[in-house]
Amino acid sequence: MPSSRADAAAPPPIKAGRGQLAIRAAGIGVRYSLRFTKKTTIRQSMGQILSREPMESFWALRDVSFDVERGESLAVIGPNGAGKSTLLQVLAGIILPSEGSVDVNGHISSLLTLGAGFDQDLSGRDNILLAGAFMGLDDPVVRELLPSIVDYADLGQFIDAPIKTYSSGMRARLGFSIATSVDPDILLLDEVLATGDAEFRAKSKTRVIELVQAAKGIVLVTHDMAWVVEYCNRAMLLEKGALIVEGSPADVVKVHEERSARRKAERAARLGGAGL
Amino acid sequence: MSPDRIAAELGARRGGFPVRHAPRLRLTGRPPSGVRMLPFRAMSATSEVPAVFRHAATRPGARRLLGEAIDDVRSRRRLVRYLVQADIRKKGADTFFGNLWWILDPLLQMAVYVVFIGLILQRDTPDYPLFILAAILPWKWFTTSVNDAASSVVSQEKLIKQIQFPKIVLPVAATTAGVVGFGFGLIPLFAIMLLYIDRISPYLLVIPVIAAVQYLFTLGVAFLVSAANIFFRDLGNVLRHVLRLWFYLSPGLYSLALLDETAVFQENPALSFIAHANPMAILFEAYRAVMYGTPDGGALMPDWTGLLALTVASLLLIAVTAVFFKRLEPQFAKVL
Repeated sequence: MPSSRADAAAPPPIKAGRGQLAIRAAGIGVRYSLRFTKKTTIRQSMGQILSREPMESFWALRDVSFDVERGESLAVIGPNGAGKSTLLQVLAGIILPSEGSVDVNGHISSLLTLGAGFDQDLSGRDNILLAGAFMGLDDPVVRELLPSIVDYADLGQFIDAPIKTYSSGMRARLGFSIATSVDPDILLLDEVLATGDAEFRAKSKTRVIELVQAAKGIVLVTHDMAWVVEYCNRAMLLEKGALIVEGSPADVVKVHEERSARRKAERAARLGGAGL
Repeated sequence: MSPDRIAAELGARRGGFPVRHAPRLRLTGRPPSGVRMLPFRAMSATSEVPAVFRHAATRPGARRLLGEAIDDVRSRRRLVRYLVQADIRKKGADTFFGNLWWILDPLLQMAVYVVFIGLILQRDTPDYPLFILAAILPWKWFTTSVNDAASSVVSQEKLIKQIQFPKIVLPVAATTAGVVGFGFGLIPLFAIMLLYIDRISPYLLVIPVIAAVQYLFTLGVAFLVSAANIFFRDLGNVLRHVLRLWFYLSPGLYSLALLDETAVFQENPALSFIAHANPMAILFEAYRAVMYGTPDGGALMPDWTGLLALTVASLLLIAVTAVFFKRLEPQFAKVL
């Protein structure tokens, strides 16, 4: 572990009492070891141990630093595999960074890919209770929130049916209402704005705007550039785990679109060249 | 609403916002679970991670990890309860007979062994159905719990990637759900015991004590297999055979005394010691003592020394495997 590097990157912690900064990320790096990739079998890892190959690894994120102030809505954009979701996982505390540090000042709600963690056999209502327990909420609190969650998700009679009978839109709606019901200081959203029907999309936009206005930090991963420009007050472009540019949404989106257009052109040129 | 207006709104809000939660900065390697820091009732309507500082270089020691494991489970008792309830509901929901299978299953298994060993191999242990039921019930609990624990963390893959929560509640829930199954299993036991009325004794009241020892041992194994299964997905297959072998090598279908009479055991005291130290042997013999007794007599007290030794060993096992689990926990979301 390159701890010297991490130590060097350690920032002064957020000053208590000011309540200004919501998140400070300093030199975050996340390294994935390829030794224990998905579904390793004993044979494979024995082989690895015996052959004493150097441990293969790659950096999903490297040297990413940024601050999020209270009331800010930060959009994280970038091509697929840029490390956007990994970044959210680090902020949520799901993944411990391999280097660098994250300072989070406030409570985080992090139903990232909404609805994916539901228990298929339980009813919507039971899943709300279960999700509340997973998020560490006190039971009376969840029961108090229950009617408003059910109401907001607008599932009608389906709330007492098993989740496996739900459509993907219904699932996303329920996930969104749970994630935003807990009144978090900092909300992490991953690709949720494109879910559900037009009506619910409009509704969820309203809710996100409400949360932004309530001076709660939001970090949002999305491919919807119109959203970024319109509703976020800052944006950040990630590519291959590295922070490319950070600034006003319009500028960052412009850079992102230029870069992806260039990549597309390069790819087309390569393919064209191979074809000749 | 125009972006300008939002920007103006945001600008107006910034700086003047009252601090609702006093920041609690702690130097920890992992985010402390929110509930732990507050009295249970004082939890506000907010989510799991309070102000935290996560640093790549911090690695807590074994004692810290063990303390964290205990806190995790204590503070998330309700989550464990919900998971247990969900597990039981699911096991009953898919099948026609539902939860009745908890009762039918050990009876059918007992019938298989009675036919196989009692009728075909002609062993003449008196009241043999009761003799083996005393082993089948705890064994069914043990295997169900260990198998469920092995898949408990892996099967929550999606949730683990979405929410930060103490993963150790998953094997705890799997083990605890097994207790309920064991409780159901006592119904056919008492039904069968009505056929052997002279074996009913007040010693049956000791069953919860033996079950408590078994719970501790199972929990220790559960931590180990649930964490190891993430890194070695073969474990499920290996486990099936290891468990089957373990059952036949444990005095379930036969008594420990029978083993001791064989020539091999009389010549090798070491082998005999291993057979006696087998946790499952201690448990089976204890259950059998209070449910069945001796072949020609009524029930008796279990071997307290053995149970006490197993309790101490199980607590040590829990300490070691819980630390093992907690040490690997930060890797779960990456490897899954």
